[in-house]
Amino acid sequence: MKNNKLYKVLTLGFGAMFFASCTDLIVEEKDSVAIESTGAGFVAGNPGEQINGLYNGLGLYNDQGNIYSLNQHTSAEMIPPTRGVDWGDNGVWRTLHSHTWDATHEQVLGTWNALNGRSFQCEQILGSNPTPLQKAEAQALRGFFMSQIMDLWGQVPRRTIDQGVDDLPKVMSRSEAFDFIVKDLTEALAGLPTVGPAAVNARASKAMVNALLARLHLNKAVYKSANPAGPYTFDKADMDKVVAYCDAVKADGYDLDPDFYNVFTANSSPEKIFTDLQGQPRNRWMMTMHYDQTFAAEKDGPWNGFATLADFYDKFEDGDDRKFRSIGFEKGYGGLHKGFLIGQQYREDKTPIVDSRSKKPLVFSRDVPLAGAATEKGIRAIKYHPTDFGKYVILRYADVHLMKAEALLRGGNAAAGLALVNELRGLRKAKALAALDLNAMHKERSFELYWEGVARFDEIRFGKFNVKYQDMSNLEPHTVLFPIPALAIGSNTNLKQNAGY
Amino acid sequence: MMNRFYQSGRKVFGFGLNQLAGKCSMVILISLFLSISAFAQDITVSGKVSDKSGDGLPGVTVQVKGTSKGTATDMNGKYSIAGVPSNGTLAVSFVGMTSQEVAINGRSTINVTLTDDAALLEEVVVVGYGTVKKKDATGAVNAIGTKDFNKGIINNAQQLMQGRVAGVAVTQNNGEPGGGINVRIRGTSSVRGGNGPLFVVDGVPLSGGDVTGGGQNGGLGSSSARNPLNFLNPDDIASIDILKDASATAIYGARGANGVVLISTKKGKGKGSLDYSYSLGMSNITKKFDLLSADEYVKAGGANNGAKTDWQDEVFRTAYTHQHNVAFGGGDQNSNYRFSIGNMSQEGIITNSGIKRFSSSFNGGKKFINNKLSINANVNFGNTVDNSVPVTDNAGFSGDLLAAVLKSNPTNPVRKADGTLVQTTSVEPNPVAILQYTKDFTNTMRALGNISAEYEIVKGLKFKTVLGIDQSISARKAAFSRDLVAADISTVGQAYFTDIETKNQLMENYFTYEKDFGNISFNGLLGYSYQNFDFYFKSAQATNFRTSNLDQMLNNVSSANNSAGKGSIINGSSSNFNELQSYFSRVNLGIGKKVLVTGTMRIDGSTRFGPGNKYGVFPSFAGKYKLIEEEFVPKNIFSDLGLRVGYGITGNQEIPHNLYTQRTRYGGAGIGSTGTQLNNGGFGTVTFPNEDLKWESTSTINVGLDFGFLKDRITGSLEYYYRNTNDLLTQVVSAQPALSPFVWRNLDADIINKGIEIGLNTIIVDNKDFGFDINLNAAFNKNIVENLLGVYDTGAINGQGLTGAFAQRIASGQPINAWFLREFGGYDDQGVTLYPNGDFQSFLDGKSPNPTVTGGLTLNVRYKSFDLSTFFNGVYGHYIYSNNANAFFTKGSFANGRNVTRDVIGSKEGPLNAPDVSTRFLEKGDFTRLANLNLGYKVKTNSKNINSLKFFVSGQNLLLFTKYSGQDPEVNTNKQINGVPSFGIDYTAFPRARTFTFGASISF
Repeated sequence: MKNNKLYKVLTLGFGAMFFASCTDLIVEEKDSVAIESTGAGFVAGNPGEQINGLYNGLGLYNDQGNIYSLNQHTSAEMIPPTRGVDWGDNGVWRTLHSHTWDATHEQVLGTWNALNGRSFQCEQILGSNPTPLQKAEAQALRGFFMSQIMDLWGQVPRRTIDQGVDDLPKVMSRSEAFDFIVKDLTEALAGLPTVGPAAVNARASKAMVNALLARLHLNKAVYKSANPAGPYTFDKADMDKVVAYCDAVKADGYDLDPDFYNVFTANSSPEKIFTDLQGQPRNRWMMTMHYDQTFAAEKDGPWNGFATLADFYDKFEDGDDRKFRSIGFEKGYGGLHKGFLIGQQYREDKTPIVDSRSKKPLVFSRDVPLAGAATEKGIRAIKYHPTDFGKYVILRYADVHLMKAEALLRGGNAAAGLALVNELRGLRKAKALAALDLNAMHKERSFELYWEGVARFDEIRFGKFNVKYQDMSNLEPHTVLFPIPALAIGSNTNLKQNAGY
Repeated sequence: MMNRFYQSGRKVFGFGLNQLAGKCSMVILISLFLSISAFAQDITVSGKVSDKSGDGLPGVTVQVKGTSKGTATDMNGKYSIAGVPSNGTLAVSFVGMTSQEVAINGRSTINVTLTDDAALLEEVVVVGYGTVKKKDATGAVNAIGTKDFNKGIINNAQQLMQGRVAGVAVTQNNGEPGGGINVRIRGTSSVRGGNGPLFVVDGVPLSGGDVTGGGQNGGLGSSSARNPLNFLNPDDIASIDILKDASATAIYGARGANGVVLISTKKGKGKGSLDYSYSLGMSNITKKFDLLSADEYVKAGGANNGAKTDWQDEVFRTAYTHQHNVAFGGGDQNSNYRFSIGNMSQEGIITNSGIKRFSSSFNGGKKFINNKLSINANVNFGNTVDNSVPVTDNAGFSGDLLAAVLKSNPTNPVRKADGTLVQTTSVEPNPVAILQYTKDFTNTMRALGNISAEYEIVKGLKFKTVLGIDQSISARKAAFSRDLVAADISTVGQAYFTDIETKNQLMENYFTYEKDFGNISFNGLLGYSYQNFDFYFKSAQATNFRTSNLDQMLNNVSSANNSAGKGSIINGSSSNFNELQSYFSRVNLGIGKKVLVTGTMRIDGSTRFGPGNKYGVFPSFAGKYKLIEEEFVPKNIFSDLGLRVGYGITGNQEIPHNLYTQRTRYGGAGIGSTGTQLNNGGFGTVTFPNEDLKWESTSTINVGLDFGFLKDRITGSLEYYYRNTNDLLTQVVSAQPALSPFVWRNLDADIINKGIEIGLNTIIVDNKDFGFDINLNAAFNKNIVENLLGVYDTGAINGQGLTGAFAQRIASGQPINAWFLREFGGYDDQGVTLYPNGDFQSFLDGKSPNPTVTGGLTLNVRYKSFDLSTFFNGVYGHYIYSNNANAFFTKGSFANGRNVTRDVIGSKEGPLNAPDVSTRFLEKGDFTRLANLNLGYKVKTNSKNINSLKFFVSGQNLLLFTKYSGQDPEVNTNKQINGVPSFGIDYTAFPRARTFTFGASISF
């Protein structure tokens, strides 16, 4: 019986012991670094790695959707036809072309999230005790991302690092944002290194910031306009600044590449100011090439998507290197030429390609409807070629060169502008122009920079964005700004929906 | 002892097997103190113990009361004990019989007749941390045992109970052996994942996570994880108890919101038996897709490539399943043991697919110290090998294996004259080539074990300690040869390696106290529980192979050419450790004979929530009024009548690891689709931290009526419930600019599920030679989301020209996962779709994929040695979206040179019409299925060695009554968007089979 008592005591004790807590439920992280909060809300990260993360993420710009499609499909340069069951995609492409998008457009939201997320990462870097160089890079990148938010939506939210999950970012008007961005970039300029042209140029440099400042000031009239749809008044002082910024880029060793297509290859080129780092521009050919245009360098069937409109194609003069360059039947190039592809397409062995679905010869047609297009419809364009591509180019010197010409023109020095335009045209094997006006200036920019993601804001600046092109059904001027995405409006009461949406 | 748990200044509870042994030694020590005291001895007593029919009962315990002296009866029920005090008392006991005590009074021959224990025969249900008589249960609890289980080829616990219990909707996502299964108890209550019930196996709660890796299949899409319960052999399961309402599940607090499924494995009993069973199953596709034949295809205007190929016949097959189960065990009141080994090999009806399982289990218990200490241990071990084929969830325009079967031109030859496969483009891969150039298998080992010790301190007061461990190691190896012409695979090849390791440990300690105070009976529980969850994941990818040999690709991965930045990469790995610490208590009071009251309380603390919100309190109350004990209830009609009312609050914590502190890590690296480009993951923030996250909670009111008529010939229950889930844990859009596009929040919204459940069992005839009974269950559920700000889209629709398309939206005023589609209105003259209400998506008067009525009907007939069981299962009131039809069965698809179903050719659709997401592809999902038919025959044997011999034939999925045009309306392809789960979308689902099984079991 004595033993019995012992068990009772033992068991009770044993049991009671286990009622003590085993854990304080504090998590120990195994696969990530928890940043200890100092109580002030924001916690500093690793600025060097975060900047690298931003450069690694520049692949954003070679996507065929989102920021690229918002800037390209909304213009007269490109059409995204729905081809039978292909490219319907719930209407995301068609509504961009016809200017009938609304606040629930998936790519408007995707772009908003992508750019704002990056803008906040810059904010974090600036709050994480960066070195002077890191600070300059973060400011340059913040200016880069914010300038696109300002351009697309006309208002820019800013979350400061002390704001927690429940704090709503303040929103800058377009004019406030312009001043903020210019200040950021100007401050960054001092701390950034001078970097010359290189095959891969994927870090912020003086030239990159100068090119951006030139673009901002060239468009300042748009950004400062009370009515975003214009009319715009271009200030001579701003145009002089544009010229100065463009000259600063050239001073760092950048110049026009005598070979138009060289800038899109893996070679180094005097034009490459800012490029992607990790991605490859594969989407640029996949989005347009026909699925039967396969060869060793492009084994998977391309996507048979986007085309250009015949109205745009017809503006080019024959002989312009930018319109078409035959690469002959050079080995490895698969019979795929550069520039615009029209008519019968061939393989490397000179056999005509036959559409594997329709069994008809693959002849790219001039006509292409927005919906119900057959597979061979539409003129395609190749700048990046599957055989010799390099990194995707985000900023290049020909753009800077033409911005300088435009600033001179708008500043009253049409002759100097014409000289610059003709310098470029000479290299591109196009006839010299006798005179330069705004129409010719806009055309020249599109000849040089078509399908490179600048078409939308160029058209807006030249007052051509709401001019009808084929299958554009909405001519309302409010489309110069995109709507704040419906989900974003719901998340931040400081945002006000843009007029017209 | 506790020092063990304090490591490196932090409170850690970790026990390996060594420490487990350390704990056991304590228990063993106690048992060594056993003292045996001897009494004066006089005579030898012998006799026979028999049942009421006079047959001798072997293995009966005969013990001299107050001593440890005793014996067991022999094969003929005879016993003999020497040295028994002549004035002593014999205690005679046997499992399932009423124990008897017989005074010896100097007799030397004592024969005893034992009778069946009526109390024990009374149905008992397992509730958390204990059992209760069915008639005393205050909550909505259903128990099903082996006789109620589905039969035939069953490879997991969920299939055993499919359709058998009212309000428990079990949806097999597709027909793939071992594939995922969706279980919803009383509707869907959460916007996020974590809608499945908590599974508890022999007292060990399982973690809700996956134990196998789903994964990539090159350009053929990605596949979902397997059913995590595949390791458990259904033949080892004795019973499944389902706790449905909060008053029953609140004892599991934070994990009880979606119901609790308690699985009890078999224990040894009786004098000992050796059982062996074998079955052979044969499965065939129930219904082939109604595709055009080669002749019809050409006649309709399709390109003729010369051959006549039925791609379905090339890929589908008659699949065989072999199952062997061996078990032996035995037990009496003091000890029991059972060992089992099972081997199952199930082929899928798609060539090369299948699952193999080797399982083993041990279950044993022994009582010590005058039966005051009882030790129990059990281990379930399963090794499964899943052979997969690339049938995926989200194949794009070029499709996966099943899509290739559906859309391949029937005039394409399979092979050239020289026997090599005909492969055209990566957009139109050859289905046979996909099979031939793919090898994909997942090897998973999972072991679940627990050991418990219970000691009765004083009469009625017991202390129990349980240690449990659940460990799983899974590795997926998949190779796609460069010889396969398919997106991202041709000329480079792809290999994927995915490992998941999980280890969950449990320690529970609780006191129970049982005592009657006058006419009040008291039953109390007080306990503490600690469980931790360790998770590790790794995935690797290799491409740019120098070989096309699948084995070499997997087993000599250096054959991937790593030169010039191409080749192979560890994509990523992750690991996390979570803990749950809980205190729980329950009080059952019986007041007189008429009233039963239960109150429970659980306090759960979890590492998933930040400081200040770690602990949640989950109470419940319930009562039962036994009307049958009232005089005004006529006993000649009613044999049982009771009214139950319960209310409780339960929780849900199924969210990712640590969302409340800011953390940084390197993102996943990857290889570009052509294998030529390595993307290095960048350094970034894991999540936008939210310190205020707290438990999602569900309150449930349940009213139940239990009844029995005509001496329990008709019994059943009727339940009404109202569940309201709020503080929904979900991701909402961040106010940009933000650390991440989404942030986790508790949404101040309500998801309401309300409904009625009926269970009815009727015994029509019950004679010696003939028996007939009918069991019926039905459930009616209505689901609605209220007060939700914003909307959440899900239900991605894939296919050619459908990038970014979706079909479901979660919004206030709508049922969860409500369909959100364009209204289809036929075609115009050009064959272009008309949308009378406009070319935009909208809600459709509450049409949703959620069934409003589910039911099951079982008919059991017994005649002499035969028994026949027929089971019908039905689901009604819901709509299914056929992503198959949307992606493949359109004129445009035919115009692109793809095969289509016969109905497409006659339609007025034009060849250039874009088939946007619309009601054109939405169909009623109602179905009635003859799910299970089982005929058994018991052979009468006179052999002394053979206990029983049974043969059976069973058929599964024999008949299906539905208007759905697809292969089977019970389908749920994973089409989630941003982690918001979808439901009821049919896209290249592994087709369902009809199975016939022949088997025999013998018991020695």
